[in-house]
Amino acid sequence: MDHEAAQLEQQHVHDVYESTAPYFSDLQSKAWPRVRQFLQEQKPGSLIADIGCGTGKYLKVNSQVYTLGCDYCGPLVEIARSRGCEVMVCDNLNLPFRDQGFDAIISIGVIHHFSTKQRRIRAIKEMARVLVPGGQLMIYVWAMEQKNRHFEKQDVLVPWNRALCSQLFSDSSQPGRKQQCGHPERSHSYHPPCSICSCSVCFKEQCPSKRSHSMDYEPLMAGNCCADVSKEGEEENGFYNTLGKSFRSWFFSRSLDESTLRKQIERARPLKNTEGWANSTISIQPSRHSSLDLDHQEPFSIREQNLDEDVFVETSQKPLEWPRASAAVKHLHGDQQGEVRRNGDGNFLEGAHPSDNCVNAGNVEDGNPSASKILKRISALNSTDSNPDETISVKEQQPNVLDSRAFMRYYHVFREGELYGLLKEHVAELHVLSSGNDHGNWCIIAEKKDNWD
Amino acid sequence: MKLLTHNLLSSHVRGVGPRGFPLRLQATEVRINPVEFNPDFVARMIPKVEWAALLEAAETVRTLPHARVHLPGEWGGGEWSHRQPRARGGTPGDDLGLCPQLHLVEVPKGPIEGYEHDEKFLRQMHHVLLEVDVLEGTLQCPESGRLFPISRGIPNMLLSDEETET
Repeated sequence: MDHEAAQLEQQHVHDVYESTAPYFSDLQSKAWPRVRQFLQEQKPGSLIADIGCGTGKYLKVNSQVYTLGCDYCGPLVEIARSRGCEVMVCDNLNLPFRDQGFDAIISIGVIHHFSTKQRRIRAIKEMARVLVPGGQLMIYVWAMEQKNRHFEKQDVLVPWNRALCSQLFSDSSQPGRKQQCGHPERSHSYHPPCSICSCSVCFKEQCPSKRSHSMDYEPLMAGNCCADVSKEGEEENGFYNTLGKSFRSWFFSRSLDESTLRKQIERARPLKNTEGWANSTISIQPSRHSSLDLDHQEPFSIREQNLDEDVFVETSQKPLEWPRASAAVKHLHGDQQGEVRRNGDGNFLEGAHPSDNCVNAGNVEDGNPSASKILKRISALNSTDSNPDETISVKEQQPNVLDSRAFMRYYHVFREGELYGLLKEHVAELHVLSSGNDHGNWCIIAEKKDNWD
Repeated sequence: MKLLTHNLLSSHVRGVGPRGFPLRLQATEVRINPVEFNPDFVARMIPKVEWAALLEAAETVRTLPHARVHLPGEWGGGEWSHRQPRARGGTPGDDLGLCPQLHLVEVPKGPIEGYEHDEKFLRQMHHVLLEVDVLEGTLQCPESGRLFPISRGIPNMLLSDEETET
C-alpha cells in the first residue's frame, strides 16, 4: 500500500514538479503574508527548516535566522541554490536530521501531496521529531472548502499546463519586488485556480465579487480574476457554471486511503491507454496540445494566471484579453471528446524524459532564453493572435514540456478540522496553538511539547 | 553546503537511529563564501552546535589541498577587508597543502566563558559555520557506510525504498 502510494506520488507529484521546474524560475511570486509573519517572529539566531521549500520563496524572509530549505525535487532545489539559498534534497517522510535540531519549521503546501493518511501523519511526525521542545511548526494545506469552487472529492488530480501559464499579477503586486525566490511550487494550492486557466480542474462556477474577500493580506489572484470575470457579465457566469459541472467528473470518486488506494491504482494502471483513464474513477482533464490549444486558449489567458499556483508577480505586466466565452466553450467540448491523449498513455510523465526537461539551474538563472521567451510569446499570443505554434518551437528540444500535456498533480484537499484532527489524534507530541483558514488553505501552528522526547 | 547544515544532518538509513550522526564529510571542492558577520546571530547559534561533529567536519576541510578551495577574491582584501591579512606564507597560487582560511587549530573546542562578547571567538565560529561552503563531496553514514553525494553545493539525502525505515 505504501508502495502504491509512493508510486502515485512519484508520478503525480515528483515527476510533475521535476518536469515543470524550469518554468518556475522566471516567475516571481509573493510569500504568503502569514507565513512571512511567522518567520519574522522567530527569534534571531533560530534554526529554521522549510520542508518542501520549492525554489526557496521563504528562505530569505528573515535574515536574522538560519533557514535551511529542503525539497524532494532536485531541479527546484537547484533553482533555490542558484539564488543563494542553503538547500538540500530530501524526503519529508525520512528527514535526515538529528532530533530536536530546529527551532521552527514551515510546511507550506506540502502535506496535501501525500496520498494516504498514514503518510501525511508520518510527514508531520517527522517534522515534530526534529523540532526542539517549544519549537513551532506551521502547516498550510489546500482546503476542500473553497468559496468559488467546489471540490467534489478530496483526492484530486490537478492539471498544470505550462502553456497556459501566462503572466499574471494581482493588484497588490509590487513591481520590482525581487526578493522572493521563485515560486512556491508546492504551495500553489492557496489559490484555487480560475476556471479559465486550465491549470486546474477547479473551475469557478460563479464569480461573486471577489473584492468582498477580506483582504487583510495582499489581494490574491482570485480577487482579480473574479473582478475580471464579473466585468464580462452574465454570459461568463453561465459559461463557468457549465464548466464547473463538466469538470466535476474529473475528480477521484473517493478518498485515497489505504483501503481504496490499491483499487484506484490498479484501475489506473491499465491507464496506459486513453480508454483506461476515461473509464476509471480517476478522472483527468483531457490533455490539450498547446499547438492547438493555444489557439483556443488565447481566450483563456487572463491576467491572472491562476493557477493553482500562488500569486504570480509579473515583472512586466501585460494586460491580456479576457477569454471569449463561446470560443472557450467550444474548445472545451471539442477537447472533451475523449481524448486523454498523452495523459492517457501515462507515459508522458515518464516518457517525456523529465530530467531532460529540467533546465539546469544555472541556465535558468541566466534567464533561460527559452523559458522567458515562452512567457513573452504567450503574452504576445494573447494580444496579437500570433501563431501558437511558434511558442512551442521556442523551447527547442523540449516541445513536449510545453505540449499541452497537462501535468497532473495529485492533491488530497483537506476538510475543515481534518488537519487539526490529524494532529490531535495522531501526533501527540504537538500541541495546536492556532488554526484557521488563509485564502483557501487550512493552516495550523503547533508547538512541540516540552519534555516530550 | 555549510558546516552549520552539516551539523544538523543525520543518516536515516533503516536501523541506524542516533548512530547515524554525525555524517562523515569528505569534501573534494570547497568555496569560501564571505558572509556578513552578525555577532548576535552567531552567539545564538553557539548553544545549538554539536561541537565534536563540527570539529571533525572542519578538520576534513582544513586538510584539503589548496587547489580544491575557492577563495572569494583577493586574499585579505575586497570582501575580506574586515579581516586581518594573514601572514600564513600563502597566496592564492601557493600550494601550501592546507586551506589557508581555516584556522582550525584555533577553532574552539567548545564555547568559552563569556563567548557572547568575545569577538575573536565569534568571528572564528562565524567563519567555520557559515563561510565554508562544500560544493562537492560526500557524506557518509557512520553506521551503515552509505554515501550521500554533495553536488553543486547541494546534499542529496534521498534513500531508496529498501534503505528507509518502514
